[in-house]
Amino acid sequence: MLTIAIAKGRMQDEALALLARAGVGVSDEALRSRRLALLDESGAYRFVFVKPADVPVYVEHGIADCGVVGRDVLLESEADLLQPLDLRIAACRIVVAARDGVKLKEMGALRVATKYPHVTEAHFGARGIPVEIIELSGSVELAPVLGLSDCIVDLVETGRTLADNGLVVVEVITSSSGRLVINRASYQLKSAPVAQLVDAISGVLNESER
Amino acid sequence: MSEPLSKIPGGMRYYFGAEARLRRAVENTAMSVFDGWSYEEVTTPSVDYYALFERGMGHSEAHRSFRLTDTDGRLLALRPDVTSSAARAAATLFAERARPLRLCYAANVFRQQPRSHAEWRRESTQLGCELIGAGGATADIEVLLIAAEILQKLNLSDFCITLSSVEVFNGVAASLNFDETKRAEMQRLIDMKDATELQKFLAPYAPPGEIAAFARLTRLSGKSRVIDEAREVITNARSVAALRELENLWRVIESLDLTELFEIDLGDVSGLDYYTGLIFKIYLSGAGGRVGRGGRYDNLTENFGRAEPAIGFVLDLDAITDVLARGGFNFAQDSESGVTILGSDDDASLFLKAKEQRARDEKIKISDK
Repeated sequence: MLTIAIAKGRMQDEALALLARAGVGVSDEALRSRRLALLDESGAYRFVFVKPADVPVYVEHGIADCGVVGRDVLLESEADLLQPLDLRIAACRIVVAARDGVKLKEMGALRVATKYPHVTEAHFGARGIPVEIIELSGSVELAPVLGLSDCIVDLVETGRTLADNGLVVVEVITSSSGRLVINRASYQLKSAPVAQLVDAISGVLNESER
Repeated sequence: MSEPLSKIPGGMRYYFGAEARLRRAVENTAMSVFDGWSYEEVTTPSVDYYALFERGMGHSEAHRSFRLTDTDGRLLALRPDVTSSAARAAATLFAERARPLRLCYAANVFRQQPRSHAEWRRESTQLGCELIGAGGATADIEVLLIAAEILQKLNLSDFCITLSSVEVFNGVAASLNFDETKRAEMQRLIDMKDATELQKFLAPYAPPGEIAAFARLTRLSGKSRVIDEAREVITNARSVAALRELENLWRVIESLDLTELFEIDLGDVSGLDYYTGLIFKIYLSGAGGRVGRGGRYDNLTENFGRAEPAIGFVLDLDAITDVLARGGFNFAQDSESGVTILGSDDDASLFLKAKEQRARDEKIKISDK
């Protein structure tokens, strides 16, 4: 049996829909329950639902064999995982945003509020810009508005929250979308069922491309 | 506020009781297998010059060592590996000895770890061996069989040793005329088995059909079929020669009826600056990561002034005992079994009796009255 960790929230419904099309489905009845671990209809897969940031943790430790999680989370966790497929779901961007009219380029050092300290450090580090990172766990857009930071590094899907708070995108760091991740040991020791899952999902992806 | 005395630095821990006995038993099993193949135990310095490890492991790995300065100001390190030291000894201390050298060790190594990763230990114990001065398939098979024998002697059945050769990758990178940066990017994508990104990355350099086949190949892991498929895609002479060597190795594995234990994984591209030919990784059911790795490093001893072929591997004692302990594997005897409790008011007669029983190698415990 393969255990698949699914990131709860934003990505969960799209991920389950994609997996269902690949023949790995969970009944609606099971989903309505509040259990955090569910079996699929065939009994060959077990789903566990965890917070996005915990998906790489479960998979890196081999407690879950596979996982579905955003690339943003993977970049931030720096976990050592296999990432064979871009699932092309929940597409978004990681951006630097600031209040309209603020000239970041003229500042010698930046105060950056973010949920992504590693991504932020790597991005500005590569450009030689010193940053003071202010780590927040939510409502990051508020920080520049109230003067806690000069700018933010955050995930943007439509840009609406930014606009509503008077912020504009200064720079796109990278794009992000849902990825299939696999534990290194599971990939070797459960090679047949893992390959079957990867093939089934990439079949669905190729179909929707056409 | 002072630190509480109970606090232990991150990544460090105590081992005691059943777990300590299990570790000792695993270590003894490995060392007796090494001895059975005529490997001589070597104990290397725990502290050595940082420059040694930089030469032996390369910058990026050596950077993870704990460093301190000697009284003369030179930079020292707590050993992050044993191979560097063994290779230096082979080229210097053992330069006059007959080849091949067969060395083995059970040693603790120290590495800084990023926080919150599955590999959290900063002190770990490596069980390893080095076969120095012997090249070719014979030496390759010798060390592979030793690794497999240790795991089997530990009654571990669900493990897998994956085989590849760094020359398959090197040949492809060379045929594409890649510089260091592009090479590193291709290596990263193959290592993560990210076929989608790999195809995009390679698109400007080769015809699409070939790229798709190559991308699929890096995801493929299996038996000899993998080599056949690789041959259809990879045509440069360097890679083809490496594939031929892998195939010869596989034939021997087949004739020994050991194909169950091995897989070919051409997507294994780790440690490219270090290894020169065969590389292998050891995976064990129940352990999230690799429990061992090894390969051929024919250039390493040259760094210490004497070029000669060499191959070796390490097993991670901690990862293996974790799996054995969680499996409730009753490897180590209880410390209280078969023990005679001795007690007397007269110390002279008590210890006379104790000495007699110890002379017969019986287990005793002095009663605390």
